[in-house]
Amino acid sequence: MNRNRKDRHQREEMSPAAIDRILATEEELVPSSGFLASVMDRVQEEAAAPPPIPFPWKRAIPGIVLAAGVLGWGGVELGRAALPAIRALSLAPPHLSAALIQPVQEAGWVALALIASLLSWLFSRRLAGRSSLL
Amino acid sequence: MSASTTIAAQDLADVDRVLAGDVRAFEGIVRRWQAPLINMAWRYCRDRGRAEEMAQEAFLRAWRGLSHWRRDSSFSTWLFALAANVFRSELKRFPTVNVPIEEIAEPSRPAGQLAGACEKSSHEAVRRAVLALPMRYREPVILFYFQEKDLAAAARVMGLPEGTIKARLSRARALLRSRFPHLESEHSALEWAGKEA
Repeated sequence: MNRNRKDRHQREEMSPAAIDRILATEEELVPSSGFLASVMDRVQEEAAAPPPIPFPWKRAIPGIVLAAGVLGWGGVELGRAALPAIRALSLAPPHLSAALIQPVQEAGWVALALIASLLSWLFSRRLAGRSSLL
Repeated sequence: MSASTTIAAQDLADVDRVLAGDVRAFEGIVRRWQAPLINMAWRYCRDRGRAEEMAQEAFLRAWRGLSHWRRDSSFSTWLFALAANVFRSELKRFPTVNVPIEEIAEPSRPAGQLAGACEKSSHEAVRRAVLALPMRYREPVILFYFQEKDLAAAARVMGLPEGTIKARLSRARALLRSRFPHLESEHSALEWAGKEA
């Protein structure tokens, strides 16, 4: 009988209305006696402090324009020099001997296994919440 | 003239005086809004000392940004929105740490009988559970109840449509009911025990 009462009580207590009632009734805090004075002290300090020095845009703009120009010019020159080299590049795959292919394939599988392990570790950490391991 | 209109007029006058260079006029603003801002901060962190620090930071930001208040909303809405931003970023920098209730709660009246103490403790547990919600659900709950269940006011402070706030509130309540079974049982068991006593 007691258990039935308890179950009924649990159902009643966690109804949306009960949560609403609990969250709506909150005791009011009274500010501590020194709060107002401490806020006003900090405000007075800020008011007395000299205004921040503005960024010298007038002096900086020529420098920024010059730097942008140099970078742009460098980019154009780099592109001009690299274009013939890219055109001359052969797209044929490099020739690998049979003795080299097998270890490379094995290394590929090892890398794949490592990546899969890393991903599953990260996923499990995410599921379990952040741990202090990292 | 209603109380809220009077307060709005006083806010307006004080803001104008501050913007004209009278620093002392800001005291009127702090005096009027210190309790609401501390109580709002308390709901974000449930730590009295930290609530006062966060409220102080909010007042300082308000002081610095007073000229940015566009007056298209009430001063209180602007102040609460600014404070919510401050509290959010403060909690992002230093998240709240859950400590035992008895170390933080500062009841204004002593707990009387066992039933009363049990009920109070279980209610506090439910309120603390709000802090465990993800921020997107936590904040609507905090602001909705802080604004005395005024959905429109909470939406204005958050700068979101009312429908969004309503949906998040509903989801938050569902999370509170389902995601914290230990709190449900603690809460109901404590209350039940209290009534039995």
